[in-house]
Amino acid sequence: MLPTKPLPSEQAYGHLLIIITRWILIVAGLFLTLMVPGPMVILRTQILVILLLSVANFYLCAQVLTRKPIQDLVAYGVCAADIAVITTSVILQGGFESNTFIYYFPAFLAFSVALPTFLLVAFAGGALSLYAFISLITLPVPSTDFQTLIIRLLMLTAVAVCGHQYWSMERRHQQALTARTALALHDTPLPPMPVEPAAPIAPTAPAVA
Amino acid sequence: MKPSPSARDAAKDIFYGQIAIIWARWFFILATAILALWSATDIFAMTLAIVLVVVLMATNFFVHGRYLMDQPVNRLLLMGVCLLDLGVASLLILGAAGPGGLASEYHVFLYPLLFAFALVFSPRTTLTYTLIAMGLYATTCWVLNPEALFDMKLLNMLSARLIILAAMGGLGTYYWRVQRERRRELTNRAALVRGM
Repeated sequence: MLPTKPLPSEQAYGHLLIIITRWILIVAGLFLTLMVPGPMVILRTQILVILLLSVANFYLCAQVLTRKPIQDLVAYGVCAADIAVITTSVILQGGFESNTFIYYFPAFLAFSVALPTFLLVAFAGGALSLYAFISLITLPVPSTDFQTLIIRLLMLTAVAVCGHQYWSMERRHQQALTARTALALHDTPLPPMPVEPAAPIAPTAPAVA
Repeated sequence: MKPSPSARDAAKDIFYGQIAIIWARWFFILATAILALWSATDIFAMTLAIVLVVVLMATNFFVHGRYLMDQPVNRLLLMGVCLLDLGVASLLILGAAGPGGLASEYHVFLYPLLFAFALVFSPRTTLTYTLIAMGLYATTCWVLNPEALFDMKLLNMLSARLIILAAMGGLGTYYWRVQRERRRELTNRAALVRGM
């Protein structure tokens, strides 16, 4: 019998990944904030922001658990909020000197596999430009740290590019599989599949036409 | 002999995921080249650094070339290349180019390398690689900055970096599992249709 249940969409998985990433950022943020607490006013603000983020993330989580689709606009808003919170934290901790820029890495990871190309370019490009601008104006002058900034930006770009390349590759392959299934159902001659590996690959993978 | 489904899945993971490692390595090589050209203070240091960059480039040319020819390299070689990258990144963190340990800025190399690795290899292998990376980094920091064990600020900085390293490995593995399940489901459907 043919399976009738549709597969969850690529977007649904992407949204789930964004939610998981946010939980990681929230828990890590709370733990690290309480580990070295700053003055009361700052600490209160930090905890308030973290709690607000967790409430918003709980809402998204509830949507997923009740199998309700998350509106694309809401998902994009969440991505923008993540960038805003990380960037604000970087600014508050001195810009270039701040160590919190590393939170961009998991955020970029989630964007790279959850967003379509043009939105990835917009979000990741926007965040990178913002971070580069903040770092440039807070960089001590004269400075040898310019090279460090370039390396940080390069590595952030690397995460976005790697994730997106993988996402594109998988997408192409899965689309080909779906198309073949659909064609087979209509008794149409099957087009050739993209080259697949002969398993296990040893010593190198010969192409199977 | 027909390969088992799990062996075939593993081969597909290497085949399709390899592109992530290739791109992560190109960025890593570019960053090391910038570092070599920028921070070397004498000809010997520059020569040494450039030789290292050339070795990294040669391995990635080979891996990328095979990929473009639809003959991706095998699992063992790919793992060796990833371990080489981890070794080079650890050397840089150790202080081969500038201050080492917690003061080193080169911990950023580890994040894309871990993510790309997690997209290609099984969760168990990724867990091992992530633990090696985290262990190497923590040990380097504690050896070069023993005060980090008692200074809460330094410990906080180290914890944040280690948490993000673990997150990169973990999130990459999660996405790997999602894609593998989708691929398996689609393949099963295609097989069912063909058998009708």
